Amino acid sequence: MKAVEDNPGGISKAEIVVGIPSYNEALSISFPTQQADKGLTKYYGERSAVIINCDNHSDDNTRQAFMDTPTKTPKIYLSTDNGIKGKGNNLKNLFAKVIELSAKAVIVVDADLKSITPLWIRDLGNPLFDSYDFVAPLYVRHKYDGTLTTNLAYPLTRALYGRRVRQPINGDYGFSGNLAGIYTESDIWSETAANFGIDIWMTTLAMRRRVSVIQSFMGKPKIHKPKDQIEGMLNVVRDVVETIFQLMVRFDSFWKDVKWSRPTAVYGVSLGDLELPPPVEFDVRILSDRFLSGLHAHTDIYNAILDRQNMNKLEEAAELPASGFEFPTGLWAKVVYDFAIAYKRNLLPTDQLIDVLLPLFYGKTWSFILETQPMNTQQVEEFIEDQCLQFEKAKPYLVERWFSG
Amino acid sequence: MPKILIVDDEEGIRMLYSMELQDEGYEVITLPDGQGLLEEVEKQRPDCIILDIKMRDYNGLDLLQEIRKKHYDMPVILNSAYSSFKIDLKAVAADYYVVKSSDLGELKDKLKVALETKIPEQ
Repeated sequence: MKAVEDNPGGISKAEIVVGIPSYNEALSISFPTQQADKGLTKYYGERSAVIINCDNHSDDNTRQAFMDTPTKTPKIYLSTDNGIKGKGNNLKNLFAKVIELSAKAVIVVDADLKSITPLWIRDLGNPLFDSYDFVAPLYVRHKYDGTLTTNLAYPLTRALYGRRVRQPINGDYGFSGNLAGIYTESDIWSETAANFGIDIWMTTLAMRRRVSVIQSFMGKPKIHKPKDQIEGMLNVVRDVVETIFQLMVRFDSFWKDVKWSRPTAVYGVSLGDLELPPPVEFDVRILSDRFLSGLHAHTDIYNAILDRQNMNKLEEAAELPASGFEFPTGLWAKVVYDFAIAYKRNLLPTDQLIDVLLPLFYGKTWSFILETQPMNTQQVEEFIEDQCLQFEKAKPYLVERWFSG
Repeated sequence: MPKILIVDDEEGIRMLYSMELQDEGYEVITLPDGQGLLEEVEKQRPDCIILDIKMRDYNGLDLLQEIRKKHYDMPVILNSAYSSFKIDLKAVAADYYVVKSSDLGELKDKLKVALETKIPEQ
């Protein structure tokens, strides 16, 4: 896959690698590169290290911005061929390179991070030298930041694979050389995994292969380039949901036997005062409009996909007054399970299936915002835990329908 | 018969939980604090640990971190008179957090779920 490699130091071996995937991040990439360098120098000065920018042949001089960033740690630039896009493709290049370098520990951070500190390198890296294979981040996030994680990716993957990884689709994590080998050898790959589905692909494979997973508390909130929470997330939602469904089909003999869930160990929990995350704004009118108009426009399709009882309850919820709207999580879990089953049975072309799931996801997000409005961060976390339990409780419904023809 | 290890510095709690859980058909062993906890876990191999947080010389959250290092998948239920420790991120490593109450219903429910939890090997 790799098309371009610039390795001016001729690095052929490194114990620890920091990978920074990018596409057109010339204005942002220097900062995480500098922080990674400081972290590597301060905490891993004794170990051989390299910082790798795995890029999508950016045309905005990302390569130069990265290579020109002054660092003590040597750097390598990798790129896909011109025209080959996708974060997953960048990571695939990284997997191959870290195997070549015989790396023991790999840390990946986003190229547009503004809040990364050298401590992130330590906290994502140290557990990898202490027998863990996958390190997922734990951030303090604003309650409305990451609604795809909160309402779908976290509760669904937790119910399916039985492991509680609070941020399964984030861009920052650590993994061992051993897990890089598993990723490289995996025959499961798709267009969506090659794009924004890569994070859930990596987390799911780690859970499915039962490698040791730990969550590391990052201390500072994740602050990166702002994205519109609805329009800016469309491709991410599509890729993540489709990747989850693909992996469900592939791993159904495993997850059918998973019951409830287990926690993961936590690393780095005594870091002093917490920094509060910046607020995230949502226009709930857009969410309610998209939910109600979508429900109206696609009624026939919903009737074909959803269990009759779930469809009735959905129509009932849609009739609630806007100020008291609620999309019960038990119903949402069954709706998501119905869509996964429709995916497995090829009831609709995948693009269309996910397009008709979107209005319901907006409805759930609208309900989540209304319900959590008066809550503080801790209360919201407890609310999310309860949502996860509802997905776990509804799982026998999924298993029964999934395997019944 | 599932074996439950109760770690609590209040003798009354240990006695109450022992009686109630034995009535439910569990085998119960107890420890008055964290001293020798890891050795006891190694020796007894309990199916679940019910762990107090605020003990005289020990902090259950720190003990939980120690347990997790050696027993990645050992079910542990944190059981405290205080709900405020829930905000401590160390509590994330527990299977469940149950606030102490004279009604042991929630504790028994969570214990049942913790014992039923299953993730197959590869």
